[in-house]
Amino acid sequence: MGWTEKEQQDLEKILKKYPADRKLSAVLPALYLAQREKNWLDDDDIEAVAEALGIETTHVHSIIGFYTLFRKEPVGKYMMEVCTDLPCALRGAEDFFKRLCERMGLGPKGGTTEDNLFTVEEVVCIAACDKAPCMQINLEFFESLTDEQIDEVVAGLRAQASNNGA
Amino acid sequence: MSDNVTLTIDGVQVTVPKGTLIVEAAKQIENEIPVFCYHGKMDPVGMCRMCLVEVGQPAIDRGTGKPELDEDGNPVVRFFPKPMTACTTTVSEGMVVKVDTSEAAVDDRKAVLEFLLTSHPLDCPVCDKGGECPLQDLTIRHGPGNSRFDYEDKQHFPKRYPLGDLIVLDMERCIICARCVRFQQEIAFDPVLAIENRGRRAHIVSYSKPGFDSHYSGNTTDVCPVGALTTRDFRFGARAWEMTNVPSLCNHCGVGCNTVLGTRAGTIRRIMPRQNEAVNELWICDKGRFGHHFNGSPDRLTTPLIRKGEELVEATWDEALSLIGEKFGAIKSANGADSLGGIAGARLTNEDLYVFQKLFREIIGTNNIDHRVGLSAALEDETAFTVGVGVGTDLGSVGKGTTILNIGADLDQDAPILYLRVAGASVKRGAHVINAGGRRTKLDAQVQTTLRYNYGSAARLALGLLASVVSQGLVAKEWADSRTSGMADLEKALKNFGADKVAEATGLTTNAIDAAAKAFAEAENGIIIFGLEAGNDPALRAALEALALATGHAGKPNNGVIAVLPHANSRGAIDMGILPDRLPGYKPVESNAGLSAVEMLTAGGVKGLLIAAADPAVESESYKQALQQLDFLVVQELFLTETAQMADVVLPAKGNAERDGSYTNLERRVQTFDMGVPAPGKAWADWLIFTGIAGQLGADWAYASADGVMAEITQRVPLYAGMDFKNLTAPISLQRKTEHYIYEGMSFTTDIREGIQWATVAESDSAPKIPLRFIEPAKASSQEQGLTLVAPRMLYDGGRLLAEADVVNAHILEPQLMLSRSDAQKLGVSTGDSVTVSQNGTAITVPVYIERTVSEGVALLPRNLAGRPAEKLVGPNGLYSTVKVEKS
Ligand code: SF4
Ligand code: SF4
Ligand code: FES
Ligand code: FES
Repeated sequence: MGWTEKEQQDLEKILKKYPADRKLSAVLPALYLAQREKNWLDDDDIEAVAEALGIETTHVHSIIGFYTLFRKEPVGKYMMEVCTDLPCALRGAEDFFKRLCERMGLGPKGGTTEDNLFTVEEVVCIAACDKAPCMQINLEFFESLTDEQIDEVVAGLRAQASNNGA
Repeated sequence: MSDNVTLTIDGVQVTVPKGTLIVEAAKQIENEIPVFCYHGKMDPVGMCRMCLVEVGQPAIDRGTGKPELDEDGNPVVRFFPKPMTACTTTVSEGMVVKVDTSEAAVDDRKAVLEFLLTSHPLDCPVCDKGGECPLQDLTIRHGPGNSRFDYEDKQHFPKRYPLGDLIVLDMERCIICARCVRFQQEIAFDPVLAIENRGRRAHIVSYSKPGFDSHYSGNTTDVCPVGALTTRDFRFGARAWEMTNVPSLCNHCGVGCNTVLGTRAGTIRRIMPRQNEAVNELWICDKGRFGHHFNGSPDRLTTPLIRKGEELVEATWDEALSLIGEKFGAIKSANGADSLGGIAGARLTNEDLYVFQKLFREIIGTNNIDHRVGLSAALEDETAFTVGVGVGTDLGSVGKGTTILNIGADLDQDAPILYLRVAGASVKRGAHVINAGGRRTKLDAQVQTTLRYNYGSAARLALGLLASVVSQGLVAKEWADSRTSGMADLEKALKNFGADKVAEATGLTTNAIDAAAKAFAEAENGIIIFGLEAGNDPALRAALEALALATGHAGKPNNGVIAVLPHANSRGAIDMGILPDRLPGYKPVESNAGLSAVEMLTAGGVKGLLIAAADPAVESESYKQALQQLDFLVVQELFLTETAQMADVVLPAKGNAERDGSYTNLERRVQTFDMGVPAPGKAWADWLIFTGIAGQLGADWAYASADGVMAEITQRVPLYAGMDFKNLTAPISLQRKTEHYIYEGMSFTTDIREGIQWATVAESDSAPKIPLRFIEPAKASSQEQGLTLVAPRMLYDGGRLLAEADVVNAHILEPQLMLSRSDAQKLGVSTGDSVTVSQNGTAITVPVYIERTVSEGVALLPRNLAGRPAEKLVGPNGLYSTVKVEKS
């Protein structure tokens, strides 16, 4: 990609927070920065982070793969992340996830809607286990969800998107 | 307090050092706790849970602080409520461990195996690991008979995923033990493998360009406890139990890695490392692993050939040998013995080389012999005789308190396994490594200090370090006084090498020079390593020798000098006196020293020449012309090389896998290898060919085997006394042999040998004092305009032996000029553009490659590549020269 000027400045700010021989520590904020623009990371973005921190590209990939917050494929404007880890599964999260996919017109493993507005994805614990089924949409949390609530939330987001001219 | 701890494992008492892991303690009493992720050479991680055991500790009465006793007066043992991983838990006094005697632990391990197998394909019948697979074996021993998991829920992954072009991953077989990832990180220092994703979707990836970019990748297939990683070379090559395992040695560089040839039906199916803790531990590099195909190549010479006009036609050994006898005899009687000469490459064995020099010196009567062609001409060394690293040196164990000074060796390319050991000493064990070189090399990232000197100034740097040791008062006076002579003269000569002057010549700061000198001199152990890129300079060698002596870093284990000589038996070639001015055992030739290889390869140098295991014709046009003018040329080779095509007689030699013999490695360790496969056609071992030639010239030698030749060497070369094959092949401590492969990754049984190092002069208290030598370095090259073209060595070179290994072909560089980004910008070129590089009327055209490890002002063009363009510019024996580069 090559960082934009603004990104370059922000990157330098991030790097300043860590000792020069411990640049690896900056990997999460650096990735977050690289993902800021388009909400996902292409190979060049990843390469750029590796180069900025002086670490192996493979290492960066493994970190990306560990966190559901980072994505290597284009995603919709709204990321709907449903926890299906064991505690949530015990409260019906798996079935909830299936129904969610159905309602969004997606296959059983989730994916991105045709209008590129929503991406539905299974994730591991998002620390709301006691209120499963739970879901995170971008930075917002939704807990003890019912199917009806989903429709409401989705309709609201669609409206918001069209108002913003998305 | 004692440093030992006594514990009980399954009712058996064992005493081990504090800090020992339970799994290691159990190993000592042959209680094999099953493991997958644990590996003796890597940090424990406790990832796979296979080693679960029950652990208890003596209960302590809180009131009294004394152990609680039961009614019978025995200590009460409290068990931890949960099982513990034996691979991460260290022992403690009075600990009680239950491995097989605990029903719970037995159950736990069964459950772990059931989990590990939930997605395993169980395709053992077609899996290369079958028969030597820890997962297979441990499942049979500890696992459940069947699985309760839903078949539909199996995770699926591609079955044949190339991680690079050498290693293939079958992710379905992987059990995520991370041994491969950790090997690359902790041992190879090439962290190009990683685990991506989590839980059941976790899988192994490599995103380097090219994929799995490491010289050590093959080792991951050994440590992988399942068949997930296989080499492209061996995939489906043979079943483990069908192979014969023959102890051998790698013949590709001076490290001398111990290998095992897995052979079947007369062919080599695979090469794996054979443990030698003093040399290669459990590893080999990929060149050693995959570069064996020359042995079975269909292009090998199979019969003697005799020139009939333009043609080389097949002949019998009798015809060929008697023709050589006749011609050499005639040349000698017409022109004298000194009109004949011999060149022998340093990949021949000690036995070959000894007989070779004996043929020339004793039968023909000339000292016209040399091994210094090709890479051997670019680096010489005699310092090993006086100050080579002490007997018992082990780079795999040195750490804190040791300073290693590396000058001009790119270890990752020149001596890969040495690189692992030096980098490990630095990163894992805290040795202070000072890496001095003319450009950035891989080792820089792993060491505490790097010194970047101007090419051509290495000898000055060494003298500067020595002068700094003297001026800082760091000379090891007592030792130097009693063991060396000439200190006063040396100190006088060093006056001209004060830090200021040396700083100017080398481009370093005076502080950096003083600090490095101090770090080296003050260390408990000091080791100097030097290589090709320091320049082939007697002044450098004299200075390094004096540096080792003056600081007392000589004559004992883990102290002294290592020259990174290029070939498997470069050391042996020097030891055996394959030099015009030195006899076996470093004895100078008293009078009538012979011609060097360069002189013999000059028109009019000699009239008849015998060349074995060397190909000077490819190196330079002038050598080729000289060869054309010979009256008679004999070439002894594996292939019909360019030089062989010019010969009057060509003799087919055996490859190293087809015979036995010994090599001496760069730490002076003499090691033997056995015969693994039959030779093609009528090829002979080189020593036998030389014996045959000698016979034609009147000798009555009766060597019947390499062993027999070595017996004579032990008699006639004092350095090699005691090195008969019986001693060299004696397997060492059987304890190591019985360590089961689940801990180390090698299932085969074969001899584990250690080899024998010969002792240096510095090690002998009764030897006369060693004179401190000083040689004035050559004038620094005048400041010509242009770039400094350097011709380093690459691991994957364009040599004939490697050309036969298809799997690594993609890794052999096409000639290219590597430039720094800034120089490329100045020239207005980018990667792929072609440039003309010229020097003194010689010009070549090559593509450019922008490489970030190259410093400004330096251009790299590796030597030993197709067409030998680098040699055209720096000369066949040179290292660097100033060149003009223009966009073409
Ligand atoms: S590929 Fe082999 S060594 Fe690597 S994690 Fe998987 S099982 Fe372990
Ligand atoms: S380091 Fe040298 S001796 Fe060892 S395997 Fe590699 S090429 Fe062979
Ligand atoms: S397990 Fe689902 S939020 Fe914690
Ligand atoms: S957890 Fe101990 S061997 Fe893997």
